[in-house]
Amino acid sequence: MKSEFAFIALPISALVAPSAFAVQYLTVDQAQRAIFPGKSLTAAPVKLAPAQRRAIEQASGVRVLRDEQQAWSVSGGGWFIVDEVVGKHEFITYAVGLNANGSVKQIEVMDYRETYGGEIRNEHWRDQFVGKTSRSPLKLDRDIKNISGATLSCRHVTDGVKRLLAFYEIALKRS
Amino acid sequence: MRTKQKLEIRRCRPLLGTFVEIQAFGSNADDLEDAIEAAFLAIAQVHRLMSFHYHESDISRMNRDAHYKAVRVHGWTWRVLKSAQEFSRNTDGIFDVTMARQLVKWNYLPKYRGRLGRGSWRDIIFEANGRVRFRRPLLIDFGGIAKGFAVDRAVEVLKCKPVMAGIVNAGGDLRVFGSASQVVHLRHPAQPKSTVGAVRLRQRAIATSGVYFARTKNRCRYMSPILNARTNRAAYDLISVTVGAANCMTADALTKVVFALRERAAPLLARYSADALLLEQHGRPSWMFHPTCDASRQS
Repeated sequence: MKSEFAFIALPISALVAPSAFAVQYLTVDQAQRAIFPGKSLTAAPVKLAPAQRRAIEQASGVRVLRDEQQAWSVSGGGWFIVDEVVGKHEFITYAVGLNANGSVKQIEVMDYRETYGGEIRNEHWRDQFVGKTSRSPLKLDRDIKNISGATLSCRHVTDGVKRLLAFYEIALKRS
Repeated sequence: MRTKQKLEIRRCRPLLGTFVEIQAFGSNADDLEDAIEAAFLAIAQVHRLMSFHYHESDISRMNRDAHYKAVRVHGWTWRVLKSAQEFSRNTDGIFDVTMARQLVKWNYLPKYRGRLGRGSWRDIIFEANGRVRFRRPLLIDFGGIAKGFAVDRAVEVLKCKPVMAGIVNAGGDLRVFGSASQVVHLRHPAQPKSTVGAVRLRQRAIATSGVYFARTKNRCRYMSPILNARTNRAAYDLISVTVGAANCMTADALTKVVFALRERAAPLLARYSADALLLEQHGRPSWMFHPTCDASRQS
């Protein structure tokens, strides 16, 4: 079969609209099964004390924005943690699976939404995204499935994982 | 005959310093999950071998030691380095993976404790048994071509599995394989939150380069990590270059060359049977190149 490369210009109206690119890859349930197949997980959310927050910030060098962290303990050892990061251009929910010894087993992006400039600081605007599922996609997203463009850094997720590893040491690890 | 329902599985992981997304289409969910997992493992392997940031990668070991002694590298690193040399030769040094020195100076790469060196691609020597030596101190960073190479390896893995079609996208370097054609949107070169158009692809790789996410201003001068190695100048125009090629590593390397040469890159694109699309700051294409149509026009 022949390869194909054809450019399709968009009408001006489409140009004006922001792309609001968003994808849901996994729900919490699916992420749990993807990282820990066949294991049973028990919810164990953690509320951080101010001293713990400071300790995590000191250990990781990354700011802790919330004092609550969603976590699950895994049968036979290990942890499953769901976290969110706000980047310069993106708003990401991701899951991290930790082995029983606290090393990273797997990282999966669950939700990826692109945001720009001051929009994310506007709580009202952000609320539109909270609780969005694949059943209620934003209208504009529907046609954009893939984007090619300059590389976006994943530094915020990398920093988030650093913070979660410190969170594990300080709040989850059982001595 | 029972018609099998076509399933789609889509996963995304942070790798290679960006978001890597794999979509696979097929008839069995477990098969697709396994295939995607195997493809991610190949990408993680490329990440471990070719990261400038990771201390024990082939790249870091070469940058540290190859000036003093021959450094043995993995077959994959060898292949990318060989291809990089070929691109450097074919572009007379406009493409050069030893420009990491400049990117460190401009803070696009982390501070480097050792010597930055002054060597170029011409100082890389390939010895027997997968060993590499540098004639002068220098720093290599594969940048986008490692991303392209990782995409190609992932596609190779997926093609060996029961997957009908798929897409691997490493931060905009992407490749489509299988019977289905896919539509890929392109960002507006000056307003990256908007898309200006799309490319329909089948069995082809594309890469787009633009400076919109990385451009910074330093002492009233714009900087970006895309630079012409021959002039040492950074590209700062808000244009974008999209190149289509048979594999993703070639597509990525050629975007940098088109950034520097624009229309003058046509003979090189033809040599690699690559397509190119240049979008100007206002978002309209100013130049398109298709190797096959151009060839037929000439004949």
